[in-house]
Order: sequence, then structure tokens, then C-alpha cells
Amino acid sequence: MSLLQRVKNFVRSKSIHVAYVDVGSCNGCDIEVLACLSPRYDIEQYGIYVHNNPREADILLVIGAFTPGWEEKLRSVWEKIPDPKAAIAIGNCPISGCVFNRPHSLIDPPVAKHIPISAQVPGCPPRPTEILSAVLAVAPVVFKDYEVKKR
Amino acid sequence: MKRTVDVSIPVGPVHPCWKEPARVKCETKGEYVLSAEVELGYMKKGIERIMRGRPWQEVMFLAERVCGICSVIHNMVFIEALEAISSIPVPDRAALLRVVVNELDRMQSHILANFSYCYTIEHETLGMYLLDVREKVMDELERITGARVTCAYIVPGGVRFDLRAEDALHLRANLAAIEEEITRYMGMFENGPLIALRSREIGILTREAAQEACAVGPTARASGMPETDRRLRHPTYQKLGFTPVSREEGDNYARIMMRFQEVLQSIALIRMCLDSLPEGPIRGGGIPGAGEIAYSGEAPRGELSYFIKTDAAGRVLDIAIQTPSIMNIEACCHYMLKGVASLADVPSTFVSSDPCIACTER
Repeated sequence: MSLLQRVKNFVRSKSIHVAYVDVGSCNGCDIEVLACLSPRYDIEQYGIYVHNNPREADILLVIGAFTPGWEEKLRSVWEKIPDPKAAIAIGNCPISGCVFNRPHSLIDPPVAKHIPISAQVPGCPPRPTEILSAVLAVAPVVFKDYEVKKR
Repeated sequence: MKRTVDVSIPVGPVHPCWKEPARVKCETKGEYVLSAEVELGYMKKGIERIMRGRPWQEVMFLAERVCGICSVIHNMVFIEALEAISSIPVPDRAALLRVVVNELDRMQSHILANFSYCYTIEHETLGMYLLDVREKVMDELERITGARVTCAYIVPGGVRFDLRAEDALHLRANLAAIEEEITRYMGMFENGPLIALRSREIGILTREAAQEACAVGPTARASGMPETDRRLRHPTYQKLGFTPVSREEGDNYARIMMRFQEVLQSIALIRMCLDSLPEGPIRGGGIPGAGEIAYSGEAPRGELSYFIKTDAAGRVLDIAIQTPSIMNIEACCHYMLKGVASLADVPSTFVSSDPCIACTER
């Protein structure tokens, strides 16, 4: 492994930028993602920085069952994220549609139909610790030796 | 009349400061905002369409998931509407426990709203302090109901779990700690020079404008309309002698301070409930029957109304929900944002009205 790759691995393990996008949830998962920021869970101690800018993100947290309003927009948000990148589905909604996946609803789950999803965190809503451990579990798999794997 | 519009700037739907997608289109002249318009439709799931024709046992959980932040009040209003249709009595202890859980939910929602505002005006320290206090409130909610969010605590004829004596003790101790910390953070918010620069005299909603836009909740009460509080018409709150607080300024600062004051008021209400909590059952009997009713309650963001029509088997034939945020978003876009001097104040003004897009669009 080249020195450059080793430096990249080290840097990427300590700085994970996270963006989240709500594609039609009940808000319950949003507030649990926000709770990750709180000093009790303190997501930043693991080198994860949460903000909502796709252009500088590494990991996209997708929350919510897929609504028609996001038809082309979610794809374009996903394309704006620079490589290497990963998307994590938070909650039951992006996985199965949860309680909203019933006749006459407008949603179109799962989100995996629209963008590639690397990990899923089930729960309605999942606890902040579960969200945190999912991000920490996905990051090394996707980002370590990214350039080597790409070749 | 010809208007000079330099540029039309869209803010959102994916924006660093916003928790949920909404787009605000601002017509600006330089930095000065001439007018703003909101574009919704990113979160429409059609919950009311799913609810129709389903038994109340299923609709109860769907009603909770209209809004995850204020799930307890959606649960409470739906169940109390069912109880009013089929005249199901509620034991005194259960009625007071409902108020305890509802006020805890209001506290966490208000603290989260204030966190969002502090985060938007880049005062992250105060925001993180507030999030830390919120975790204490969430602990209490979890201790009483068994879940942090969407706890389905209230059922027809009572509540699901009793408040044990050790939980009451824990709740009292935690309330004392929360009160002390909130009072301290209120002082920080009141006296912070940076906060005053970003909040005072910005996004003013006068009393007349608030009435015109039908503003509700803390947004209206910060503009001097205490009578908008639906808790005044709730029998349990009437028994507790509840009187709403209000402020006169109507700017961003007043709206945030209003929420702080309401958190303190909620703490006082919970203490009153704990003091007067009678012994007895927490769940009576009763079967939801046929009928129709329009029923309202006070959500953390304002007045929440349900119109429900049920049949004899307790199925929901027709349902219509009116949530508070839609009125506050209207007040925000057409009155508060008009004349905001700088584009930097657009997100903070929008966040100060505490919009909840999930329950607006359902």
C-alpha cells in the first residue's frame, strides 16, 4: 500500500461528514439523528460531523418513505456527493415504508430502488446509539483503501 | 406597478439549517427581502387517505406518526375525540398522567425548536446545552411511557402505564435540574449581545398581522394573543387553573423566549399534577362507537384539530386533520419575512416560527 493511500485511510477514518435528507418521514427519525449531536451521544467525538450540505458529505442518511416530490431530486442530491460515498437508510420507512406502506398512500418505498443503499437501520424510530454505530460500521468498509478497490 | 427585483433566491429544500425539506423563494432587492413564498410538497404521504376505513386501533398509531416531534398530542387529541364520540369516562389519575406526558412532550419539542434557532444563528454552544437538557426530558418520557418517540401512551378510557412512586421521585428530581438549567440558558439568551443582534427587531409579526394570518401557538402568543391557547378549553387544564403566558414584541427573540417561558410553565404544570395525583385506576372501560366530532387540542406549535367520523364498529369512516404549522408558515412567509433586511436572517426567521413540514403535509 502506498504512503499516500495510508495517509488517505488515516484522514478518512477521522473525518466523516454526514448529510441527511428527509424524503417523507414522520419526523421521528429526524429528531433522533439530531439527538446524536447532543453532548450525551456526542457524534463529533468519533470524528463525524453532521451538517446538511451534500457537496461536502461522505455519508448520506436517508430518512423517510419515498414521496413523489423527491422523484428526481433525491438522485440529484446523491450525484452531488463526491466519491467515495455511502447512503444509510434510517428507520423502517426507507426500508419498507413502515405504517405508510398501505393502499391509497402516495409513497414509493424502498429507497433502494432510487439510490444505492449501503446499510439499513431498522426501528421506528431507531435509537441514536444505533444510528451512530451504523455510521461507524459503514465508514471503514466504504472508505478504507477506496482507490485500491476501485482499480 | 413595476417592481424592482434584483434576483429571486430559493432557499432549500436541502439546506444546512433545515431539518425538513421546504423551499422558500425570496424575491430580493440587494439583500432586502421584498416578498417570500413557500413551496411545499416534499413530504406528502397521504396519511388521511390511508386512515379512512381502518379500525381505530390502527388509526391510533397512524395518527401518532403524523408528526414525530409532537406525537403525544396527536395521540391525545385523536383518543379524546373518540372518547367524546362514545362518552367514555377517563379516571382522574389517567387524566392527570395524560397532562404530565403531554407537557413533557411539549418541553422536548420547545427545547428542540430553540436548539434549531440557536444552531441557525450560529450560537452552537447554547444549542448544545439545550440538546443536553432535552435528553433529560426524553429520559423522563422513556421512563414513563417506555419509548422516546411515538410512545402510544394514551388509549381510550385511560393510559397504558401507571406512574410508579420511584418514577415520580425521579421525575421531580429531574424537573428541578431542568428548571435550573433552563433558567440559566434563558439568562444567556436574554443577555447575549450576539443573540440580540441576530434576533431582536427581526422578523416582526404584529398582533394585527398575526390575526390576519391566523397564527397559532407560541408564534401567536409572542405577538400578544394568549387567548389562542387551546389548553384554556381543556377540562383537565381548567381544573389545574392554567393561564397562558404571552409577550408583546412579536420578533424572533420574543418567539424563542416565549418557548422558554412555556417550558418553565410546563414544569410547573407537571409539578401541580404530581402534587394532586389521586390514587385509583388508570384505565376504565369503554368501546368506541359511531358518531362524528370536531375536536381540538393545543400542540406544541399551536391548535391541532381533528374531524373524525366513525361507525358502530369503531372504524374511521372519514378523518380530516388540521395541523398548526400551516398557519404559522403562512404567517412566516407573508408577514415575518417581508422586509427582513438581510438574506442571512431568512433561515433564522423561518426556523423561529418552528415549522414542522411533516405534519403540515402529512
